Amino acid sequence: MIDFLVNWLANAPVTAVPYALAALGLIVAERSGVLNLTAEGLMLIGALAGAGTSLLFVGHPAVALLVAMAAASIVSLLFAALVVVLRINQVIAGLSVVFFCQGLTGLIGTLAKWQNKQLTGLAPLKIWPLSEIPDIGRIFFMQDPVVYLTILIFFAVNFLLFKTMLGLRIRAVGENPAAADAAGISVALHRILAIVAGSSLIGLAGGYISVVSVKLWVTGMTGGRGWIAVALVVFARWAPRPALAGALLFGCIEALIPHIAAAGIRVPQYLMLMTPYLATIAVMIWVGAKDARGSQEPGALGQPHVREERR
Amino acid sequence: MDDLSRQAGPLISPAPSASRRLGRLNLDVRQDLAPWKQAVFVGASLMSGLAISIAILALAGIAPLTLASELAGVLTTENLRGVLIQAAPLILVGLSASLAFRIGFWNLGIEGQMVFGGIFAAAISIYDVGPPTTRLLLMGAAAALGGALWVLLPVFLKIRFRVNEIIATLLLNYVAMYFLFHLLYGAWQDSKTAFPQSSPFRPFERLTDIGYGVNSGLVIAIAGVLAAGWLIHLSRIGFYTRFISANPRMAKIVGVPVQATTVWIIAASGACAGLAGFVNVASQEGRLTQSYANGYVFSGVLIAFLSRNDPIVVAIVGFLIAVLFITGQTLQVFYQIPFTMVQMIEAIIVMAVASSEFLIRHRIRWIR
Repeated sequence: MIDFLVNWLANAPVTAVPYALAALGLIVAERSGVLNLTAEGLMLIGALAGAGTSLLFVGHPAVALLVAMAAASIVSLLFAALVVVLRINQVIAGLSVVFFCQGLTGLIGTLAKWQNKQLTGLAPLKIWPLSEIPDIGRIFFMQDPVVYLTILIFFAVNFLLFKTMLGLRIRAVGENPAAADAAGISVALHRILAIVAGSSLIGLAGGYISVVSVKLWVTGMTGGRGWIAVALVVFARWAPRPALAGALLFGCIEALIPHIAAAGIRVPQYLMLMTPYLATIAVMIWVGAKDARGSQEPGALGQPHVREERR
Repeated sequence: MDDLSRQAGPLISPAPSASRRLGRLNLDVRQDLAPWKQAVFVGASLMSGLAISIAILALAGIAPLTLASELAGVLTTENLRGVLIQAAPLILVGLSASLAFRIGFWNLGIEGQMVFGGIFAAAISIYDVGPPTTRLLLMGAAAALGGALWVLLPVFLKIRFRVNEIIATLLLNYVAMYFLFHLLYGAWQDSKTAFPQSSPFRPFERLTDIGYGVNSGLVIAIAGVLAAGWLIHLSRIGFYTRFISANPRMAKIVGVPVQATTVWIIAASGACAGLAGFVNVASQEGRLTQSYANGYVFSGVLIAFLSRNDPIVVAIVGFLIAVLFITGQTLQVFYQIPFTMVQMIEAIIVMAVASSEFLIRHRIRWIR
């Protein structure tokens, strides 16, 4: 029983990291007032870019992860141009970008023959001597470097959004773009900045899945994790700390699936695979049933800003 | 408005600055634009979207001339039959998306509803319900019911718990897909083959050709177009729908049954998607397979978006997207271009046409 628990919990951070990174990236972007549904597509871009880099240039996986971040940021410029410059309906724009990325990554991955090719991955980082503690050491101090990096990124996002002038401006633009504009803050600039910065984290989430966690590229490999991350942001009410907690919860749920089968408990395999999606819906119901006060939802979420337009 | 602002210009001139000497881009909100100019903007955007798609395909190794000859091949008489078969589910998902968008419900669960449409229809076949003469009718009705029931789940969640339907419907697609896999790898698997598929439908359970190379699936789609056209343009529910989408609060105040109308329209949307699933399993596949619903969510969104949610236009756009689908299948078979390419082109078209909205609604001027 202890073995089962330790095996399960030692895997949970690996499955939680993509959710955490994607949700943090979405929070940065959505705090600027842009409804960002692109996560599923940008994660695929990050996953493909990361896998492709590791296959083409045998370098350190960190390079692949950096390329994944850059690639997602570049593609997010397309989304930024659509919603910030052209003021397209943000749901339509987000969906288009997701399906564009699904098509593009499928096309590139197949034509370049990157499908199902084993990648080297990232070795776990042992934090000696803490890693020598029985069981606890395996769960907390023998993870790969990105797991620890995610915690640093969490603090960085918190600091950026709530302790810097830039973060204040991003939040002001998201809360009341007209007032921010009148105060001399460029709405377009801050929204584009927030989208691109947030998307780099989403790209890292995708790159982590292909390069570190699965160690393969498969078409459509994110399997709805981007949508779950979007739901996580709603669940976290646009605040980083509950987002991290929610990501851990979903990481635990997802990590449980293979361990149940491995432990010899007979449950229908495909019904088990539904659990992350059903759990997400359950969490959304819980949020909806709860009182909406205290939510940090940006006031202008989903509304394009046109200076000359009367409201 | 424009005249006024021009007259007001010299009276309240801003302080001169560096940008004033160079001039700057100014964005005005247009009051209205002549319809032909709107058509020009939309047409030009559509063309640029197609040009980008052709350029990407050229980079992927399909020269524009090859593409043109393949496209011409698709439109020959023998291939037109395939286009018409493919058009039926596309028109139905286009109707499904249009109906839901009319009432402001983002139904992105079309694939899940198609899956349940197929499952319900196959259940009628597998459990041998009813006499052979009415079998197809029963299967169609069951499919519509299955699709409607599966969409009513997120509707209930939205009304009761304010769960965002975009996320709920998308996630329920995955749930439906895994439920289908559960059946196809388990109880419903054809014992004669090792593949994850049900045993084939009997001849009287299949949608056959009715002559001139037209499949009866298309008849269902056309009937759906007429029914949806009646529902939206002529019926009382359609009138309520326009009222609610224009001003939900006013609709409620004057006594329009907002909730009932919403539920009925979205149920009709789910029923259309369920029928699309039925058409796919009963005409193309002839049995329940793993992938009969793949790639239809965004196709529905695209068709509804391009046809501005009008059922009659959906039929035309659905046919054009069917040409795109068949071309995509040809490129997949002969040039190893993955079928996801179709989804990419659909996304580019939506982005391009949505961008034209910006030019229609705003005037960009260079002010000195």
